[in-house]
Amino acid sequence: MLPMRVAKRQEPLGYWGSCVVLSVALLLSLLLSAGMLAIRGTPPLEGILTLFRGAFGSPWALEDSILKAIPIYLCALGVAVAFRLKIWNIGAEGQFALGAIGATWVALSFPDWPKFALLPAMAAMACLCGGFWGLIPALLRQKFRANEIIVTLMLNYVAILFLDYLVYGVWKDPASFGFPMTPVFTDGAIVGKIGTSSINWGLAHCILLGLVIWVFFRFTRLGFEVKASGDNVRAARYAGLPYNRLVVLVLVISGALAGWAGFLEASATVHRLQPSIMVGYGYTAIVVAWLARLNPLAIGFAALLLAGLRVGVESLQLDLQVPAAFGGIIEGLVLLTVLAGGLFTHYRLVWRRPG
Amino acid sequence: MTFEILILLLAAAVQSGTPILYATLGEIFTEKSGVLNLGVEGTMILGALAGFVTARLTGSPLLGFFLAGVVGSLATSIHGVVCLIFQGNQVVSGLALTILGLGLANYLGTGYVGLSAPGFDPLPLPGLAAIPLLGPIFFRHDILVYCSYILVPLIWLFFTRTRLGLALRAVGEYPAAATAAGLSVAAHRWLGVLVGGFLMGLGGAYLSLAYTHLWTSNLTAGRGWIAVALVIFAFWRPGRAVFGAYLFGGIMALQLRLQATGTQVPSSILLMLPYLLTVLVLVFSSWRRGSGEAPAALGINEEPVD
Amino acid sequence: MKVLQVLAVLLLLVMAGTVQAAEKELKVGFVYVSPIGDAGYSYAHDVGRQAVEALDGVTTSYVESVPEGPDAERVMLNMARKGFDVIFATSFGYMDPMLKVAKQFPDIAFLHCSGFKMAENMGNYFGRMYQARYLSGMVAGAMTKSNILGYAAAFPIPEVIRGINAFTLGAQAVNPEATVRVVWTKTWYDPATEKEAAKSLLDVGADVIAQHQDSPGPQEAAEEKGVYSIGYNSDMAPFAPKAHLTAPIWKWGPYYVKVVEEVRQGNWKPESAWPGLAEGIVDLAPFGAMVPQDVRDRVTAKKAEIAAGKDTIFTGPIFDQSGAVKVAEGVAMTDAEMLSMSWFVKGVVGTTE
Repeated sequence: MLPMRVAKRQEPLGYWGSCVVLSVALLLSLLLSAGMLAIRGTPPLEGILTLFRGAFGSPWALEDSILKAIPIYLCALGVAVAFRLKIWNIGAEGQFALGAIGATWVALSFPDWPKFALLPAMAAMACLCGGFWGLIPALLRQKFRANEIIVTLMLNYVAILFLDYLVYGVWKDPASFGFPMTPVFTDGAIVGKIGTSSINWGLAHCILLGLVIWVFFRFTRLGFEVKASGDNVRAARYAGLPYNRLVVLVLVISGALAGWAGFLEASATVHRLQPSIMVGYGYTAIVVAWLARLNPLAIGFAALLLAGLRVGVESLQLDLQVPAAFGGIIEGLVLLTVLAGGLFTHYRLVWRRPG
Repeated sequence: MTFEILILLLAAAVQSGTPILYATLGEIFTEKSGVLNLGVEGTMILGALAGFVTARLTGSPLLGFFLAGVVGSLATSIHGVVCLIFQGNQVVSGLALTILGLGLANYLGTGYVGLSAPGFDPLPLPGLAAIPLLGPIFFRHDILVYCSYILVPLIWLFFTRTRLGLALRAVGEYPAAATAAGLSVAAHRWLGVLVGGFLMGLGGAYLSLAYTHLWTSNLTAGRGWIAVALVIFAFWRPGRAVFGAYLFGGIMALQLRLQATGTQVPSSILLMLPYLLTVLVLVFSSWRRGSGEAPAALGINEEPVD
Repeated sequence: MKVLQVLAVLLLLVMAGTVQAAEKELKVGFVYVSPIGDAGYSYAHDVGRQAVEALDGVTTSYVESVPEGPDAERVMLNMARKGFDVIFATSFGYMDPMLKVAKQFPDIAFLHCSGFKMAENMGNYFGRMYQARYLSGMVAGAMTKSNILGYAAAFPIPEVIRGINAFTLGAQAVNPEATVRVVWTKTWYDPATEKEAAKSLLDVGADVIAQHQDSPGPQEAAEEKGVYSIGYNSDMAPFAPKAHLTAPIWKWGPYYVKVVEEVRQGNWKPESAWPGLAEGIVDLAPFGAMVPQDVRDRVTAKKAEIAAGKDTIFTGPIFDQSGAVKVAEGVAMTDAEMLSMSWFVKGVVGTTE
């Protein structure tokens, strides 16, 4: 018998209590990660410090982390919309790819359009394509009750191979020496940088779209229906909420947001489409969405944290020769500890009384 | 000539389906007890690394195979702790386990890439291997493939004929009723998680000890996820899992053979086939049976009792 | 007098300063596209890095798994800010990012592998692997009985396509009947898929397996089937002792050491370096015991010929898959044409997509 047992709280843990639990969970995951560093003979404290310095320790490091956080944020925002309804969209990666493909198609087809027309057209096409990639699992779930986890995941592989097919084939830049990449976009197709910083206007898109999603859940009837149905499917069905249509809605929104991220990544950072655009933002987004408890503002912080992790790991490699896979370890550990810490929202530990 | 290629293709289907089969059986075991574990991919790769390293250090592939299972159990025990003790969301916990497992295996395994280790080689079964048609397809593989042939009926018997197996299913279907009947839901779910993890670990080890005798980062290459999909395709039945795993292994082998015979279809399109097939198969099986075959309490945590 | 004293002191200080500068550790950075654990392409570069690391007064570091594009730019910027003196970027997609960074840091030597753009402080380099591929093709062509050679190929990029073409031309030089079947795996290091790809080639009758991926998976398949194989990157004989005929291999070390020494001496100038067999950056692994003496002699003679510059391999007439003349008689392909090769020569069965 364990000396402690769990007991239900009268009321869910408050704001400050949750912060304490979260901090303890993060600290625990960092400790475990430091242990992993020690196993390979890397000084753990120095390693963790290098990681943080590399991520947030200088102006340009911070800029890099913010840049990386942009696509992660949008993907995570999308994932969070679906998770609200307890629809497990693991397909942000594929929807991101489709968005990049859609935006690229517009950029390559109408290179002479002025910026004010071309960029919105690219964004719209990206949303359309990403949304379409979200629509497929939604329809398959609705018509055939096919599990959306598997369908969205398999569609990721398909989307990436489709992107490969395009850049290795029809879209290959004749000037690229046969390497798989499209021509560089024209100026009109590029989302520019904010002032003299290296951060692009995608940051503004994030804030705007984050606000839209927040308003959607906070103030619109549809948003309320999604939340209510997510909390209790059966009750929602009894109340006559159109559950099936909501599934389609959230997956399309989810896909469109990931598609927008793909548009930004192609337009603002890479300036072309190439296979290396796919670096797993869509999977990191799932971690981010869950860490932030699906809250648009918190997603911002979580996205920055995990983007910083990706950037910081590079310094860790450069200075201490730690393999790149270390980032995955921290990511997994953070998610697991925070998940476990969630117990304390509704429960507390009490000592067993002897006898 | 064409017929010969067909036989070879079917034999290849069996071999490339075997690691997926082990993993699928593991996930069936876990899900029967009511726990959804999406960490198959991460568990498999840890098993693959453990098996390879053990075989290299001790010279015994058999020991490596066994320890891969143990490490698989250790990996899924993380999922057990988070979901069964801390009541974490099973979907997210499984994903986290996959991320952690891939990171950990790639991190710890860097020093073992490009090295070779003793493994299992094909061992035609005397007599059986000579049977026309069936011999070359089923009985000219390594011993781990034959093990999987035995494992499938054993698991079926376990779930249909043994008291423990029935209890495990009860816990997955009606935890409340099981509790009322005096069964410990937590204990049985732990059993499901750990035995499932053991089998997933074995599936990973098949890749590094028999399919190839090599270790590398991302050796599993998405096979764990396919196993999760095949569980639904198999309606949680071991027998159908065999069919699903070989079908999937077959399509993977087929797309490469189509290229080898000189087709003009771009390789990107051919490489999509296995994933598209998974979706199709899933849609078809869900449509026919719905999710009615799933353990009723799958993915739902039991509230801790005071 | 006083002025002279001051001058002398100043001179001494300056000299001490320069001496110190010479003694300063040279920092050399490498950017890899895949984990060095891939045991192949990046690993081969890393073996070269270790040769540099072994020099006195030089420290090296690397970042692996860097995606091509903006990530690469950030990594190189980081290296530059941390005071690296020489930066090697080893993948084609690093070209434009490196160019951007090079313009911001004129005092750092930048070297890009497999590209063509240059700057005042940025050169590029690559190795003529196709020369070694051609030789390995000769061996394969001589050893095949079915006249079907199997080629497990990685990604359809010029480097891989050029290798397949050179291999095919080499095989046809000794065996006009030889054809090469290509299977793309779209992987650099996935032993399971690559072994399966090799098996699929064996199933259609190939009896020599060559490969461009980095894993020894295809070698295992050949060994199990009891046929022959050609390795890649490094001597893969330990993985398939009975099958391994030879392997075209990389030896980056001497080149990296040469460049770093030049930078240290201060006489490095950016150039487009494409060394080959003559410089020893590519080579052929030792022949397996099964390769008969006459084949060895023939290949060794050809090797000397190529190293001496008497045979450039891609000299016409060369036909494409449809049989049309692609390179006219007596015309040699330019380096630029070779670097952007995206078509198969006659005798290759497969697509370039």
